[in-house]
Amino acid sequence: MRKQLALKISISGVRGVVGDALTPQLITSFAAAFGSYCGAGPIVVGTDTRPSREMVRQAVFAGLLSVGCTPVDLGVIPVPALQLHVIHTGAFGGVCLTASHNPIEWNALKFFGPDGILLRPHEAAELTDLYHQGVFPRVGGTAVQQPRTDTSAIERHRHAVLGALDVEAIRAARLRVAVDCCNGAASVATPAFLSALGCQATAINADPDQPFPHDPEPVPEHMGDLGQAVRESGADIGFIQDADADRLAIAGADGNPLGEEVTLALVVRHLTLAHPGPVVVNISTSMMLDDVCRETRSQLYRTRVGEINVVERMLEIGAAIGGEGNGGVIAPGINACRDSFVGMGYVLEGMARNRASIADLRAAIPAYSIVKERIETRPRDVPQALRRFEAACAGAALDFTDGVKASWPDHWLQARASNTEPIVRVVAEAPSDSQARDLVAMARTAIEGAG
Amino acid sequence: MRQLKIGTSGVRGVVGDAMTPELIVNFACAFGTYCDGGTVVVGRDTRPSSVMLHSAVLAALISTGAQVIDLGVCPTPAVSFGVRSAGAAGGISITGSHNDANWNALKFIGSEGALLNAANSEELLDIYHASAFLLAPWPGLRRPCETTEPVERYVAGLCRAVDSEVIRARRFRVAVDFCNGAATAVGRRVLADLGCSLIPLNDDAGGSFAHAPAPSPDNMRQLAALMRSVDADLGAALNVDGDRIGFVTSDGTALSEELALPLVARHIFRKRPGPVVTNLSTSRMVELVAREHGRDCIRTMVGEGHVMDRALTDRAAVAGEGNGGVGVLPDAPTFDALLTLATVLEAAATEDCDFDALVSRAPRLFIRKAELPCGPDSVYRALDMLRARYADTRPDLSDGIRFDWPDAWLHIRASNTEPLLRVIAEADTEVRADQLFDQALTTARRAVWAHGGRQGA
Repeated sequence: MRKQLALKISISGVRGVVGDALTPQLITSFAAAFGSYCGAGPIVVGTDTRPSREMVRQAVFAGLLSVGCTPVDLGVIPVPALQLHVIHTGAFGGVCLTASHNPIEWNALKFFGPDGILLRPHEAAELTDLYHQGVFPRVGGTAVQQPRTDTSAIERHRHAVLGALDVEAIRAARLRVAVDCCNGAASVATPAFLSALGCQATAINADPDQPFPHDPEPVPEHMGDLGQAVRESGADIGFIQDADADRLAIAGADGNPLGEEVTLALVVRHLTLAHPGPVVVNISTSMMLDDVCRETRSQLYRTRVGEINVVERMLEIGAAIGGEGNGGVIAPGINACRDSFVGMGYVLEGMARNRASIADLRAAIPAYSIVKERIETRPRDVPQALRRFEAACAGAALDFTDGVKASWPDHWLQARASNTEPIVRVVAEAPSDSQARDLVAMARTAIEGAG
Repeated sequence: MRQLKIGTSGVRGVVGDAMTPELIVNFACAFGTYCDGGTVVVGRDTRPSSVMLHSAVLAALISTGAQVIDLGVCPTPAVSFGVRSAGAAGGISITGSHNDANWNALKFIGSEGALLNAANSEELLDIYHASAFLLAPWPGLRRPCETTEPVERYVAGLCRAVDSEVIRARRFRVAVDFCNGAATAVGRRVLADLGCSLIPLNDDAGGSFAHAPAPSPDNMRQLAALMRSVDADLGAALNVDGDRIGFVTSDGTALSEELALPLVARHIFRKRPGPVVTNLSTSRMVELVAREHGRDCIRTMVGEGHVMDRALTDRAAVAGEGNGGVGVLPDAPTFDALLTLATVLEAAATEDCDFDALVSRAPRLFIRKAELPCGPDSVYRALDMLRARYADTRPDLSDGIRFDWPDAWLHIRASNTEPLLRVIAEADTEVRADQLFDQALTTARRAVWAHGGRQGA
């Protein structure tokens, strides 16, 4: 088999392996295409902490400057803070240089429109067309702008999030919190945020100049450091953020991970208990959300996978809360994107107002076992693989919102093509771990086919 | 026509047109590959577009695994110094140099601190055309090191290269037109260290250029007017990246940029041995100076790369071109306007005379120059017609076409950097210079027009 492709251009942006397909040429051209798309004005640029960030940043600056845009450099910054900054400052658009939860050799450009929201699928398609056409409205002479630096974004973002929280209650609870910033974009912002909430914070892996201490995806197998920090500091709760600080996972007071799917369930329960209302999640999110919404008499909507799909539906129906099961909490009243700070804030608010431990809050929601797997598949083989998968799920209720989702009364199984990598993602959720694993094994057999 | 020139002088073009960031990234990737992922020193001039080129260059160099030493805004000779002092594999000066403000360019500097010579340029172009660039995996991407320390040491070294005591004692008053360029800050420091009082002109580095940057008499009118209204010993005009210089006398006469080389050569010949190297288009004045001192005058093709390469091989004392670019060896294997200025001040101080007297002691010839817009498709036809026009004289064809007579010479060649034909005539008398120049210009114009007309038909 050919080596795995090291580049993916999709609705999530441009993502690739540095030193391979993600070349400075490609980044420069994509930035020039984005600058052309937004028009000659200020474009906010921020980055996570990957070692390739300086190369990528300079290439983005060159592309933006070449079409008359003014890059506004926010430096190392959580992606939700960058998104909010686009709106606060009336920028023409924003670019975040982050491959989010991908391993360290990857980097990516995420593009945001003037509303601070990830480009919608049709907008992303237009941008990709501009890139492929390769003809950009270049400027010369004195029309070439000079980049600016803006260091106010983190503070503005903190104020915005704090403004939505019951800060008094959280401060009064004097919670002890351990947090693992993965030496990522939140390394500076998170300690300041927690201290503003009166928490006694123990931050580990909070040095933006160090490499990632572990794979940045906030899943249980990467939460060993955090567990230890929780136990050693006697914390009430542990948080872990991914490299660009849009996703959040939680560890209990015993240091054990709750699983990234629990984050959204906790936040949705906390908010809809007080204010029932529509909730939007993606099709791959845990059925804990069905239970929570049933309990709080809230309507649950499910969309295709992809942050923008959830955000779009939320704005359309006026949902106050929603997100993704991977640890992405979205509260459009604060910030129309996944925001780990919003997630932390609401979880802490839930503990403080209810005088409850994280274990108490967790116990109020049913527990399931969710198993996720990635199966390497060439994009051209995906349709066939999904047809075999569908045939293997005979008897289940089928949903084609994204790939194929097969549901039975108390468990479900889904297979879909990834937006970011040449793989099929399989997710199974069931009352027991063995049942979930059996489902995934069945899916693998079907997807990989007889050969 | 798209405005772009790729050649031995590096890559040069109009930003907003053919000079795209992708092209710059490719060229800088080629140079990073040429330097084999070693250390590369980067500096830039004050053009707004230089910031864009700078980002493209840094992204590209980092991607090849190079360690970038970023000097920020500084003159090209400071980049050359930085390369030598860091033992770097190479350097890139981002500057449109003497070109108009809408142009920009990359000047590539080799490990010796000189612009790439013909063979090195060819290797770089081969890498560029093959697009076979080094691509370092992420652990090999090194953060650029931003520092002005090499620039400080460049200033100190420049002042040590001349007898600063004797210059300081004279307390010269010098008017300098910095052309809002990259040598502004450094130039102030050098003149202060040499005890001169400075009357600055166009010293807002980064402001838009007050005039075209080449230091020719046409572009020195502002400085000449200033000289007439202030009491200064001499006036000097620097180009944007501080490699070329022109002079104005105390009474406000703008001198031909051809004078810089003979003025410096005359003084350097007294200090150290070695020939002078210059190009085929440069005034014979330097030849007369060399003859006076029993030195050789070696001629090469036009371009700093060619001239300096030969100067290093032949251990020349001084090298330069008629455009005001002068290099004093062995101190700097690169044209350096501030070192040229310091050397001229040293000459006046040691001869214990004023600058005007120094000028009057140099030989005097009469030179005429013009540039004729001429696409690459018309160059050969024009040169052919000129060859026919002077069929009785044996031409030198090593760079364009050159005719030599006992009392005069004529050189017509295609520019390395722009779609232009350069016509230069020089003679012992003004009358002869004018006559030869007009003849040649008429013939060349006819050739370009005839060709254009035929194309249009």
